[in-house]
Amino acid sequence: MKKIVFGIAFILFFSFMLVSAINMRPFGEPTFSEMDDYFIKNAQSEVGANNVVTSIVFDYRGFDTLGEATVLFTTISGIIALFRRVNK
Amino acid sequence: MSSFVEIIHLATLTIIIIAAFLTVVFKKLLLAVIASSVVSLLLSLEFYLLHAPDVAIAEAAIGAGLTMAIFIFAIRGTR
Amino acid sequence: MKEMSKIVKNITKLVYGFIIIFGFYVIVHGHLTPGGGFQGGAVVASAFALLLISYGQLEAKKLLKVDIFSLLESCGLTAFIVIAFLGLGTTFFYNFLANSGGWFGNAVTPGINPGDMNTAGVLPLMNMAVGLEVFAGLGIIVLLMAEGAEYTNKEGEHRNDR
Repeated sequence: MKKIVFGIAFILFFSFMLVSAINMRPFGEPTFSEMDDYFIKNAQSEVGANNVVTSIVFDYRGFDTLGEATVLFTTISGIIALFRRVNK
Repeated sequence: MSSFVEIIHLATLTIIIIAAFLTVVFKKLLLAVIASSVVSLLLSLEFYLLHAPDVAIAEAAIGAGLTMAIFIFAIRGTR
Repeated sequence: MKEMSKIVKNITKLVYGFIIIFGFYVIVHGHLTPGGGFQGGAVVASAFALLLISYGQLEAKKLLKVDIFSLLESCGLTAFIVIAFLGLGTTFFYNFLANSGGWFGNAVTPGINPGDMNTAGVLPLMNMAVGLEVFAGLGIIVLLMAEGAEYTNKEGEHRNDR
């Protein structure tokens, strides 16, 4: 019984993955490209950095990086609290 | 040119699937950790082939370096 | 944790400085080449993990201290938020140094060029802040994990030296 359920789930999942892989767009042609074109055209003159990825990560999408840094800080606070000093 | 890149893609993805299968199959823990590290390293090579060097550096440093180190600490701790 | 063989220790002594220097290169050149704060910090932390695995815990603890790493991590996050607040004249996260002619303020020529270190305004400072935070934080994770593995080895014996 369990094997049959797992087999049906596997076949469904695999067929969905296969269909979406067949219908995938070709590499390098996204569906909506206005935002990408704006970044590629204007990022170098607005921010002044040659690396457009860094200018997006730290300037256009700065709040995302702030949240990532906060998540890392919270994780490390938790790990320090987990391995804290044991007082008998 | 294009076919050469496609051959490298196919070889990388095939070795990734084989290494992921070996990660589950191996009985010794250290060998399983090394196989999962091989998965991360080849995944970073795949990111580099897809023109994303930022993600490739992060994946190679964290997935293949730090995760393997932490797993080795855990294995030595449980011994 | 015990130390590894003599070959591993000598190769580590030869190589780990270069790994740390490469990590700081990735951090500092984050606005010119691929990489940035997070990636460079992860590379530096992997050098610390190599040191800790090959040299055992007691030798490596003379070099790596949890308190100093904790201080560096807090300084990194605070510097990031302070730099973000400095642009509050217009908006939060405003790049007030770019194209201003002062520090990191040279204008960049559009198109493909070899790159100038003195550009991109506030981005190199933020890269350094995030890189400091990330390498200190991941170093703390690796150090404390090694210490926890050591602690579970000796059950029944409470070790208070951290």
